[in-house]
Amino acid sequence: MNILVCIKQVLAAAVRVFPDADTRWIRSDSDEYVMNRFDEFAVEAALQLREALSDGRVDVISVGPERAEAVIRRALGMGADDGIHIITKTCGPIPPAVTAALMAASVRNRNYDLILTGVMSEDDMNAQVGPAMAEMLDLPCATAVIQIERRGISTVYVEREMEGGMRDALEIRLPALLSVQSGAHPPRYPSLSRMLRANRRPIETIPSTDLGMTAPDIHVVRTAFPGKTRAGYFLEGSASEKAAQLLKIFQARSLMR
Amino acid sequence: MTSTILVIAEHADGQIRPVTGEIVACARQLQQLQPADIRIVVLGDPVETLAETLSQKTGLPVDAIRTPHLAEYHGDTYRDVLTDFIKELQPRYICAAHTSQGLDFAPGLAVRIKAACITGVEAIVEADGEICFTRRICGGKLTADIASPNAQIVLSVLPGSFSADSSNATTAGAICYRTAISETSARTIPCGVLRSSVKASGITEADVVVAAGRGIGDRENIALIHRLTALFSGSAVAGSRIVCDQGWLDYAQQVGVTGFSVQPALYIACGISGAVQHVSGMRASGFIVSINSDPNAAIFNVSDICIVEDLKTFIPLFIETATSPHPD
Ligand SMILES: Cc1cc2nc3c(=O)[nH]c(=O)nc-3n(C[C@H](O)[C@H](O)[C@H](O)COP(=O)(O)OP(=O)(O)OC[C@H]3O[C@@H](n4cnc5c(N)ncnc54)[C@H](O)[C@@H]3O)c2cc1C
Ligand SMILES: Nc1ncnc2c1ncn2[C@@H]1O[C@H](COP(=O)(O)O)[C@@H](O)[C@H]1O
Repeated sequence: MNILVCIKQVLAAAVRVFPDADTRWIRSDSDEYVMNRFDEFAVEAALQLREALSDGRVDVISVGPERAEAVIRRALGMGADDGIHIITKTCGPIPPAVTAALMAASVRNRNYDLILTGVMSEDDMNAQVGPAMAEMLDLPCATAVIQIERRGISTVYVEREMEGGMRDALEIRLPALLSVQSGAHPPRYPSLSRMLRANRRPIETIPSTDLGMTAPDIHVVRTAFPGKTRAGYFLEGSASEKAAQLLKIFQARSLMR
Repeated sequence: MTSTILVIAEHADGQIRPVTGEIVACARQLQQLQPADIRIVVLGDPVETLAETLSQKTGLPVDAIRTPHLAEYHGDTYRDVLTDFIKELQPRYICAAHTSQGLDFAPGLAVRIKAACITGVEAIVEADGEICFTRRICGGKLTADIASPNAQIVLSVLPGSFSADSSNATTAGAICYRTAISETSARTIPCGVLRSSVKASGITEADVVVAAGRGIGDRENIALIHRLTALFSGSAVAGSRIVCDQGWLDYAQQVGVTGFSVQPALYIACGISGAVQHVSGMRASGFIVSINSDPNAAIFNVSDICIVEDLKTFIPLFIETATSPHPD
């Protein structure tokens, strides 16, 4: 079974971000980028399938500027076989339908049995690229998947997560696309030896301009800090002053003696 | 011809989900900015009771599509049946819920009907003369207002963002029945709904909940959270999904949309970013204190007290302050 995993490079969760009126997008105080965490789970799920079946390959694909190469290298370090990088020039956000169309166009004739994406990207949070790409490729699709098992040669059994701890079980005919929810199989760390090998491996690059495609237009008009729903009182002073203030607050509210 | 805003009703277990009322509230707000008729569509088998509930509650016209064998949600069937219906009705806006169902069928539906798709909508505003849909980005730290000139737009409405009208409508809306010819999809075969065996581990009854997020950095630091929790009576340790995925805490301790909802008198969020999926499970707490090293963390927008500190140094310091003999 040949599997393709779509991986995105995103700003690390702890990086501070600010609205930017000029670009109508965002600014950040550092450029610490990581692999979207849900995509790490998708890579892990793919590697486990490959290991369980002891055949087939796991490739990864990413759409992004030059720096996105780092997440492809990381996935290779985790154990993926090959990487495809669709190189974009824009610094602004790429609409999810465009990202989906770019990837769909470049994998259409590559005969993957299974395409995995993360359930959503931590930065854009659209939860769209996977199911949109499935439709573009006319593939059956399930989202928020937390369990995947191979059944026979042409189907997989999956469980998708729903609200209230319920799961929807499905049997899906291959080829198919699944969006993977984080779950009980934490992604492995790239091993040092694999990482060294990964760094020497050639990565296929495709300029996004070669893929000519269109999608309905959506655009960002502005970005902002969200409003507060509570007092949001920031304690001031040194750490020990804050600790003393917090204790007083708890005592005043009889939350602590 | 007036344009139409179509609401796709969500149901499960034979009941209309409360989020459907919120989608209607969103549609009504949109109607203020863009005059249009609102219609509700519901798919199912049987569909009669669902349609009657919708028409009585909202007073809006309902299209009830009897879809043979569709008792529960099924993505392929939803996309097929809705595509045919939308091609006929030509609504300007199509509003679904940003839930495990909406998330599953809405983006593909949009591609199929060549509509734009904006997910996780939590507000509607007008800016630069355009109708914009506000949604969270960057783990909830910022919002982005999104617009589209496309003739058709699919929206998914974030649960908890629009308040549903709880009173019944004075006159019920007309119901229009039809039957969809749906071939049992050979691509995705439903194998039933499984119920989880995970029971909440005391976090739903506790007066004080101390929750750990990925900001705790390491499994070892869970001990710190336990020590902080032990200072309070009637307290329990909870966590974000990531912490449970890591195996640092049990899934029975997970707070959020896919975990448990808690409303203790006090909720202390330690190293939690404040993603909407987490916040929806704790925002009803009496008093919320958050410790996070990022002054712009989204969790601070839903907190009463905000502490910008490294939890690894602040929590031990607080424990020491709270347990040292009082000066007076
Ligand atoms: C369909 C779906 C359902 C989901 N359901 C849930 C759910 O039920 N519950 C849930 O929790 N999540 C859920 N999630 C995941 C959710 O979107 C977030 O990814 C998750 O809540 C983030 O967890 P976190 O805040 O622990 O980690 P992160 O987002 O990584 O945040 C870590 C925080 O810790 C801070 N930090 C780092 N170091 C320190 C330090 N030393 N001291 C203090 N602060 C520090 C950082 O500034 C950051 O704010 C769901 C996601 C999806 C797509
Ligand atoms: N630029 C990208 N490159 C590769 N995969 C992506 C990209 N953007 C999104 N994806 C995939 O689509 C999933 C959902 O992203 P989103 O629709 O942005 O929430 C992610 O978890 C990735 O697997």
